[in-house]
Formats: sequence, structure tokens, C-alpha cells
Amino acid sequence: MKKSGTILNLGIIVGTILIGAGCASTVKNPSGVPVTVMRPDEQGFVAGTGIESQDLVAVTDKMARGILSCPEIMRAQGTPRIVLDPIINETRFPINKDIFLERIRAQLNEKAAGKVRFLARDRMNTLQRERTLKQTGQVTSSSDPNVVEFKGADFFLTGKLSSLTTRTSQGTSDYVLYTFQLIDARTSEIIWEGSAEIKKQGLEDASYR
Amino acid sequence: MWQKIYLYFFIIAVLVFSGCETTTTQVYQQRFQQPAASSDPVAAGMEMVQRSPLKDKVLWQYRTALTAMRYGRFTEAKQLLDDALLTLNAMMSPDKNARKARGIFGKEEQKVFIGEPYERAMAYYYRGILYWMDGEPDNARACFRSAQLMDSDTQNKTYANDWVLFDYLDGLATVKLGGDGSDALKRARQSAKNFTPPDYDPQANVLFFVEFGPGPTKYATGQYGEQLRFRTYQSPVKSAAIKIADATIRIYPYDDLNFQATTRGGRVMDYILANKAVFKETTDNVGNVAIIGGAVLASRRETQEAGLATLGVGILSKVISAATTPAADTRDWNNLPQYLGFAAARMQPGRYTINVEFYNQFSTLDGRFNKTISFTVYPPPRDTVVFISDQSITPMNL
Repeated sequence: MKKSGTILNLGIIVGTILIGAGCASTVKNPSGVPVTVMRPDEQGFVAGTGIESQDLVAVTDKMARGILSCPEIMRAQGTPRIVLDPIINETRFPINKDIFLERIRAQLNEKAAGKVRFLARDRMNTLQRERTLKQTGQVTSSSDPNVVEFKGADFFLTGKLSSLTTRTSQGTSDYVLYTFQLIDARTSEIIWEGSAEIKKQGLEDASYR
Repeated sequence: MWQKIYLYFFIIAVLVFSGCETTTTQVYQQRFQQPAASSDPVAAGMEMVQRSPLKDKVLWQYRTALTAMRYGRFTEAKQLLDDALLTLNAMMSPDKNARKARGIFGKEEQKVFIGEPYERAMAYYYRGILYWMDGEPDNARACFRSAQLMDSDTQNKTYANDWVLFDYLDGLATVKLGGDGSDALKRARQSAKNFTPPDYDPQANVLFFVEFGPGPTKYATGQYGEQLRFRTYQSPVKSAAIKIADATIRIYPYDDLNFQATTRGGRVMDYILANKAVFKETTDNVGNVAIIGGAVLASRRETQEAGLATLGVGILSKVISAATTPAADTRDWNNLPQYLGFAAARMQPGRYTINVEFYNQFSTLDGRFNKTISFTVYPPPRDTVVFISDQSITPMNL
């Protein structure tokens, strides 16, 4: 009698454990991560070895300061006109190339108090259309529309992004060199050049290696 | 006393297991089922991207992006690949699921899928094609460089960075941008196996990316499915030809995904899974011995308590063994091609209709895969990019 009771008890234990073991313990309800507001110059918790917002901010701040301290800009007679020329991406990271020059332009426009002026060459189609409308009398004009008033560039601001990458079983290392130049449109002289270097290393989780 | 202990144990076990997420399991299984057959596989794929759990999202993005490209729906392909590559690039961040996948009781397929290196490389390759299509050869080059990098940490360095087209296209983009692509061309030719890529023609303004054959898939072997293996298939197509009016451009396979998938060597994860398998087997054997020994001891009055304790240990060991999951992750980008081909041609701006023919290993035409594609060649300096797969729809108007 006692032996059968023990066997019964054992059966209960084994049964509950086996049932429990069959439960889908791997399925879970992901709780998510609450939205975190961050400064663009700080590294987030989602990071790679590529070009990120903190790099953009650091590099463009440095370049904007460099341009303003350039003698040709500081001591210019009149206000120099600058045109942005798309940067060349030689890294392994596909990027929105305009974003670097756009931030430099915005920084200079915000903080340089009219020391330089940028020409909106990327809006030329719109500007030309408006001028044509004025010339044909379809819209009013505050000046003679037949006089060319579109300014020519004194300088071109451009740059290049280059990189070196190493990847081994120990991880991935990415070095990116950012160089920007201000080129005299008349003489082709590079009147100013600034550079910044950023190196990052990382290693994926072992489950991805 | 034992009755009380059993009762307590039983109640606790019932309470614990009553919390099991059977509903969630069912929901999960329903979510993972393929959608109903649809006349629009891109829309069906998009639906799967939305419906699939986070860990499988990139998998569906990969598959759907390629399907979209084969249907000429490049905008959707771009969106999908951009999102997938964002996930891929953020893998340096600590990931809870990846950590669990390494754990004794975690499944490898718990981790967020980003694919094996050949799959990651292909995601970059396709994005590179799309960048070039949009007139951004430097971003395309960036993608080809990243694609090659995905293959750089092979176990046997002979097979590292040995994709031919990635280097070749890197150099071609450099030449197009006014640089020197000779180093990249040299690397591409060193990696070439059966077909050597030609010299660059900087004036060639139409780029044909051609792919054919079924790509590799994954399966698991080993006692517990802990060994990841790649299944390769014999492609019915071995080469292709593009017919433009009277001219014919031959397309040869420079890269073979079967070769790339099977020459990587062991993964770090393979060692982890092998250890899990050993642990699973050991705990299972310990459990067997303890249960049998415990049952024998428990049947005798004088050793009953020791026997029950041994039995308990045995059951615990069996439970631990059952909960150990060494199975390899066999989720795969299952619509990849086997062969990648490429050709560049000089063409005057205007509208063209081309016929693409595919040939078997005996260079005999396999008419099942014939394609007719119409596209417009842009005026210089922009290149025109034409993507052709033996799985593309036909006729296709781009």
C-alpha cells in the first residue's frame, strides 16, 4: 500500500514536471524600450562603428570654427559668397552626403552673423522659374528682372570622407578621416582645409560570429 | 512528511506552470504562418515584415526586398534594405536576445536574424545596385566595400574577401568617379575562379547586374540539430546573354553563393552549440542513471528516502536536459540566387527593349527563363543600371 502511494506521488511529480517542461518558455512579450530624448552629440545605446550623429556634430562644429578663423574669410573685403559642392564619400558607409555641408552651412549662418553668405545653387531651377515669371510680367517684381542678380561664388566648400577598416575575429575597427576644403573659385587655391579623425571599434555578440 | 512535501511541490509546480504562455505561443505560431497566396508577392512580403516578430523582421525584409527588385519595384526594395541594414549595423550594441541565444536554455533562433555573412553581404550588394541606379556611385561603392568586409573573417583566410564582383564594382565606381580602380580590379581578378572580369570601360554607361540559379539554403544536422549546414542545388542556368538589336552581351557568373556559403569555416556559435549539445547529452544520461538507480533504491523500505532523493535529482537532470536547446538557427534568405554576373556597355540615351536568354551547362538555351525588359538609358553623366534575375517578371517595363 505504502509502495503504491510512493509510486503515485512520484507519478504526480514527474507528470507536473514533464507538463511544465513542455510549456513554451522561450516565447515572451517584449516589453520594449521607452523613447529617450538624447542630444545629437552623445552616443546612444544603439551604436555601430559607422558614421553617427555625434560624429556629424563634432566634425561640422570643428569645421565651422575653422572656416571662420580662416584669414581670407576673417579679413575679407565685403562678404564672401560660398557654394556647396557635394562631398565625396570614399568610406564603406553609405551616407546622405549633403548632411555634413548642410550642418556647416547652418552653423555658419546661425553663428557667423553674416560674415559669409551661401548661394542656394540647389534651388536654381525654382529661382530661374521665378525670374522668368517676373520677366514675362506674370508676377510683380521689385527690381528690373532682366538684370542678372544671381551671385557668383567666391569660394567652394567641399570635402571628402575616407576610411580604413579592419575586421577580424576580435572585432571590427573603422577609422574615418573627414577633410573639408574651401577652394577659391577664381584661382582654384585651397585657402583653408580642416580635418577630423574618428576611430571606432566593436565586436558583435558571439551568436553573430 | 513526504506526502506534504509532494503536495507542496505539486501545488507550486501547478501554479508556476499555469503561467505558461500558451496563448502567446498560439498567437506566435499564427503570426509566423505564411500569408495566404497572393497575386502580389511583394505585398505579401510586406505583410510578413509587419506581422513577423522582431527577431524575424530582417529576414522578411531581405526576402521581400529581393522579390521587389525582381518585380521592378525598386522604391520598396530600397526602404526594406535600408531598414534591414540599420538593424545589421547596430549589432555592436548589447543585445539581450543574442545573449539568451548563447545561453544553455536559449535557442539560437531567438536572436534577431541578420543572416550569415554571405546573406549580409548580399543585402549590401543589392543596396549598392539601388544606389547606383539612383545615380550615387559613391554610396554604391560604400555598399560593395561593406559587402566584401562581411566576408573578411573566415576561418581559412584563403576564402576571406574573395567575392569577385564586390571588388570589381568598387573599382568601377572609383573609375567612374575619376579615381584609380586598378587595385580593386587586381583583387577582383585574383579572386576570380572560372571567369576573369574584363578591363574597365569608363565610357560604359549601362550596367547590367544579372543573377541566376537557386542559392543555398540551411539545414541542421547532429544529434540535436546543433550543426549548421548549407544545402546547395544544381543550377539549371550557368550563363546568360543580353540581346540588344543585333548585339549580344555575354554574362558570366563571377560569384557563386554556394561557394561563399560553404567556405566560411566554423562559426563561434558552432562551438557554443556543440557545448550545449554535450551538456544536453550529459544531463540526459545523468538523468537516466539517476532515475533508474533512484527507482531501485526507492522500492526498498530501508533506502526509500535516498532513492527518492536520487530520483528527484534524475528528474531534475532530465528536465534540464529537455530545456537545453542546442539546435542551430536555420532561418535563411531563401530566394537568393546562386550566381552573380555583370556586364557594362556603351549605349546612346533613349528607350531600349532587350531580350535576356539563359543557358545551361552545355550552353544550350533554356527558354523557360527568357526575359524581355524595356528601359531608358539616361543622358551622361548618369549611369543606367538594369537589374535582371532569372526570377524576374517578364516583360518588365522600367
